[in-house]
Amino acid sequence: MSQINDPKVAFAYLRPACVLLTKEPTVANVETLGEQLKEIHDASLQQLQEYVLFPLRFVLKVPQLKKEKLVQAVAEALSYVLEKTCVQSWDTLHDLFSELCLCLCSPTDPGKPADLSEELKSALLRCLDALLHAAYGDIVFKLYEPIMLPGLGAAVSLLLALGEKEKSREVQAAALRCLQSLILHCDCTQEHVIPSSDERCSVGSTMASFLPGIAMAVSRIITGNLRQGHAVTVRAIKVWCGSVGLVMEDAQLQSSKACETPSQELGRIGQLVVQRAPEWVKSTAGKLSVLLKKIISCTSAHRHWRVRLEMVELADHLLVACSQSLRECVGLLLEALVGAVNDEEPKVRERFVVIEKILADVLSENLHSLATSLPRLMRTSNDQKKLFVLKVFLGYFKVLGPLVSVVLNSAAHLERISKALMQVLELDVVDVRIVEERSHGESLERSSGSVGSYAAHIPQKHFLYFTDEKIFSVLMEICRTLGFYGNIYLLTDHFLDLYRQSLVYRKQAAMVLNEMVRGAAGLAMATGAQCLDSGVQGPSASQEDLKVAAVSIMEEYTSLTNWNLITTCEETDGDRQDQQVTENTSFLNSNIWQLCIQLEGLACLAQALGRDFRPLLMTSLYPVLEKAGEETLLVNQAALNSMMCISQACGYSSLKELINDNSDYLLNDISLNLQRLSQHPQAPRVLTVMLAHSDSSLLPLIRDVVQDVLMALDLSYNHSAALFCSVLHALMKALARWFPVSRCRTGGSARSKTSTDDFNCRQFLLDYQKQKDLAEGVGIEVDDTEDLEVPPASEGEDAEDICGPDEKSELPSHLIITKEVAERCVHLLSDPRLQLRLKVLEVLELCVYVLSERENELLPMAHRCWPVLRQRLTADDPLAVLRAFRVLCTLGEACGDFLRRRVSKEVLPRLTSSLTRQAPVSAKAGPVYTHTLAYKLQLAVLQGLGSLCQRLDLGEADLDAVCEACLPYLSCRQPVRLQEACLSVFQHLIQVDPDTFWFTLNELHCPCSYTPPHPDLPPIQLSGMGRPRDEYSDNFYFCLQ
Amino acid sequence: MSLPAPHPIYTLRGAGGALNTLHFRCHGEDPHLLFSGSGKGSIHIWNLNSRRAEKVVEAHSGSSVTWVSTLQSTDTLISQGRDMQVCLWDLNEGRSELLESVWTGSVGFCQCSLLETSPTNYLLAFAAQQTEEIKIIELPSKNPVCTLTPKAKVGMVMCIKLWKTNSGLGPLLLAGYEDGSLLLWDVTQRAKLSQVRAHPEPVMCLTFDPRRLRGISGSSEKKLSSWTLDSQNNIQLQDDVTLVNPGVSQLCIREDGRILASAGWDDRVRIFSWKTLRPLAVLQYHTDMVLSVAFSDHQDPRQRLLAAGSKDQRISLWSIYNDGAGKG
Repeated sequence: MSQINDPKVAFAYLRPACVLLTKEPTVANVETLGEQLKEIHDASLQQLQEYVLFPLRFVLKVPQLKKEKLVQAVAEALSYVLEKTCVQSWDTLHDLFSELCLCLCSPTDPGKPADLSEELKSALLRCLDALLHAAYGDIVFKLYEPIMLPGLGAAVSLLLALGEKEKSREVQAAALRCLQSLILHCDCTQEHVIPSSDERCSVGSTMASFLPGIAMAVSRIITGNLRQGHAVTVRAIKVWCGSVGLVMEDAQLQSSKACETPSQELGRIGQLVVQRAPEWVKSTAGKLSVLLKKIISCTSAHRHWRVRLEMVELADHLLVACSQSLRECVGLLLEALVGAVNDEEPKVRERFVVIEKILADVLSENLHSLATSLPRLMRTSNDQKKLFVLKVFLGYFKVLGPLVSVVLNSAAHLERISKALMQVLELDVVDVRIVEERSHGESLERSSGSVGSYAAHIPQKHFLYFTDEKIFSVLMEICRTLGFYGNIYLLTDHFLDLYRQSLVYRKQAAMVLNEMVRGAAGLAMATGAQCLDSGVQGPSASQEDLKVAAVSIMEEYTSLTNWNLITTCEETDGDRQDQQVTENTSFLNSNIWQLCIQLEGLACLAQALGRDFRPLLMTSLYPVLEKAGEETLLVNQAALNSMMCISQACGYSSLKELINDNSDYLLNDISLNLQRLSQHPQAPRVLTVMLAHSDSSLLPLIRDVVQDVLMALDLSYNHSAALFCSVLHALMKALARWFPVSRCRTGGSARSKTSTDDFNCRQFLLDYQKQKDLAEGVGIEVDDTEDLEVPPASEGEDAEDICGPDEKSELPSHLIITKEVAERCVHLLSDPRLQLRLKVLEVLELCVYVLSERENELLPMAHRCWPVLRQRLTADDPLAVLRAFRVLCTLGEACGDFLRRRVSKEVLPRLTSSLTRQAPVSAKAGPVYTHTLAYKLQLAVLQGLGSLCQRLDLGEADLDAVCEACLPYLSCRQPVRLQEACLSVFQHLIQVDPDTFWFTLNELHCPCSYTPPHPDLPPIQLSGMGRPRDEYSDNFYFCLQ
Repeated sequence: MSLPAPHPIYTLRGAGGALNTLHFRCHGEDPHLLFSGSGKGSIHIWNLNSRRAEKVVEAHSGSSVTWVSTLQSTDTLISQGRDMQVCLWDLNEGRSELLESVWTGSVGFCQCSLLETSPTNYLLAFAAQQTEEIKIIELPSKNPVCTLTPKAKVGMVMCIKLWKTNSGLGPLLLAGYEDGSLLLWDVTQRAKLSQVRAHPEPVMCLTFDPRRLRGISGSSEKKLSSWTLDSQNNIQLQDDVTLVNPGVSQLCIREDGRILASAGWDDRVRIFSWKTLRPLAVLQYHTDMVLSVAFSDHQDPRQRLLAAGSKDQRISLWSIYNDGAGKG
């Protein structure tokens, strides 16, 4: 049956029925019209809408005609018309709306439903729904103007009552559907008016008045009857979700319209209008969260999956739309969402995946905007605020959890976040002290002494934009979280790119990388359940990934250009302009920090990999040691710290073990780099550090490398002799430590001690007797037997000789090394550079000490070095003389009388003459004199001369000369320490020949008179007797005691 | 235009003696290994990943180890020592058990030569008790295959090389003798195929490229002598290469036939183009005579290494001409 398309024809066709209905409002007439309406085409019907509606509305308006059957028929006819047409006039909409509501409500109370049949109610509700759908976009919003509040309120409460109290499920559902339409949250398939943001805002404002009622009633519906069937519950959840979502929408609340005051014209109605001010939002959110809790507890375990699915939708919708205003509820909503992860119904789970994405989008959006504003916030706000902002930043990462890697896949996000970190972490590099502080090797020795308990002091980093340590630790946690959840390859690549890109970012990028790797290994991570996807535990990166990342980071850090940074100003260009200096300072400072951060980084890598770092030691340990030998204090200590960390991470018990176990790797690099010293000038330093930290078990390998060192030295005496000297010094120091010489020193000092402490008269006499006996030939047979024992020993030697000349060199390797070093010292002693000579003298002293174990080796060496040493002693800078004299003392201690003749002939005269020459000077000098070099030289000579004389067993003439030269220093006018030193000389001399010196001293000054024990003996006459007390008296008296 | 002198990528130290012989085993799975035999009688097995000695086998009771090799098919190590023994060692699963030992009776320095004829059988050629005599035996059965004694007086056997021809002939053997002669032997016929006087001094080492039928030998003088085999299996002397310093202990051709390395008594390893014999590089690191050189058998040519063992007790590893752009 084709429909009537011509409006005129349609009019003619409908007219009789309409007229009839107006005259005789009966069910039959309504039904006739209804039948006829179905034959009219939609377009024509639209034109005739008003005309057709009139009789129908007329029926509704006339009260006496209100018979249920009739009203139902009218409602059905109306529904048909409204479903087919649009309502364009506000009056029609308004009137129809109120008429329908009137029909539904009880005559006494407009908020209560009338006692009608279920069919009628559902027909009326359908009609109302159709009306709301039919309303044109420009008029429908008039419904929500404040003036409409009373009517609308009545309708809402009516619908709620129907939805809650009604027995029939269909009516309940229909009422709730109407409510959905009212709150613009309809989910039917028809087209809906899409409100502009202003319109939505005004609807929201209006509905805000009803929110408490709606929310409470609907939550009662949801939680009420478990047997009401899921359809009603689902509808109810939709209504709840829609109304809350509409009123509490963040977008509306943030705009100023949300809390516009109502105009005065409204009068009493104005009181009904709610202003959505922040306080209101807050209190409402609190109430809503109570309701939400109830709803969730009731539905999350609902038997029907549609209900659970609806809850997920609700949570999703509210999280997206109202996460700000409903902050209190976010936890609950997330819980509802997360609960759905493991739902048994696949549709719910699928939905979750979609939502997760949406949620991630929301969070990442927020993250992005925060990252954008972060640098500004860090520059402007106070520390408290900064800390909060960063915590929020961290919070986003934690909530996103494994989704971090998804977020970071977006280049824009990664770029923003990394740039934000780069700017925030910018270091302040103007502190001059950092550049100036120098380590002088004490830290090396200190650490070697007490390994384990040692922790070098690392000054804090100073940042441009914050000072609070807490902020730094939050930042580091952010980096760790990034590493923990993010894709390690992507992050490593990205930050290494930044690192390479610009000097400005380098330090920050390195800091981020360091912490990131630690995070990726799950170190220092509070693995929280905060994240969205709490199912995944543990870091995202596997150990294998981590290793690859670590290798690439390490290679970058330790590459020549990034590792060999200048940290000290060259001494040669000391006189520059001030401005240049400051610029230069921050440049050096920056380099120093960069090195420190990179050193820390290596430690972080080691911590991340644990024992798996051991193979990487092959390439990483050498650079670290290189820096441990650096002069700049900060770098030096950072390197030591790094070494400690590495040794701990790799499971070594101490630094020593770390170095000993990996000495082959180190020595390999050292040996190779020694051959290309121009590119790797630090190689000797590494050896120095190694020697300082290891023990004699290293010797076999060391011996090999020492050859390389010496060869390299031989090839470059001019350029790097100073550097090598420090190595040789370290080497000899280590050897002296590893092979302490016990024999000669302790023996010597012990002997002298007993003789000085209490000069034993009886022992003296016994010794004298023995000497005398020997001289007279008594007891010579004892010597004979001793002589007889000698030949077998020499036979043994011969037997050794037979083995051939090759086998003869059974010297321990440390002595071989020492000999080689001593040989170089002999050459270097005549170097024109004073500093070098001083250093060499120190090395030589150590050589003498080590060699003193074997006289056979020591004496030839002493012989070889004598000519140059004599030069130092007699014709050099006072500083050198001082050191050389110390060497001479050690040498004297070790070789005894071997040097007697040379010393007495070549050195002693000079020393004594200089002492004599200086004596009057020092006697007259003021207190400042003790700071002069001349004083130090005097002191050193006086301190050493005594034992030297004793050890060398000098002849009488020499002793006299010494005595002569020293006597002036017994004057109390001399500086005290010189007097003390001089006294020690005399004490030594007295031990050598007590009688002579007693006599000598008494000749000069005799404090007491001696009365012979027997009157027959002549009285003792000494020339020093009876002299008046003078400047020498005290010291003479002291000597003679 | 000359590139800076290359440096070793790594040095292995701690062998405790002069390194007489080196042998790589890198074709299989990790770990890649390098075997070295020292003058103190120990065989070090170096792990090239960790660059450390994985194991030390005290093989020849303190006598100098002159030669080490491994079998392709099994985890078996063969070593020759100056205690006149050739020993086979089982290296399976980290063991190092002595499987067999063969008494050679030779007091010379001549290194053995090994030819794997099938996965289970292989021929071993070694200098025997009589100074000019070469014995070939089949392993693992230890059946003697033949004894080769030259009729002419050529002195002690100095070096030998056993290989299998493509032409269907049996295995052939090249031997260098004390008087500087090179002899080519047919093992199955037990007959001398040709003889040439390549050096005035004893032949210290020789190596042969079976694909090009071309070989080279070194002596204690300043000259390397190259030669080819013609279709009648006659040795034809070719160009000489004059060295700066006399004395070569070992020569080695890389598997791809592009470069030749010589272990010089002048502490240097020299690299030559094998095609033109043009000198390419001098590798200077050692501080004493270089006694052995070896190229690794990595499957990836870019990973290939050269190892040099010296009397200074170190092994240096070099990565040279690996990028394919080398002019060799």
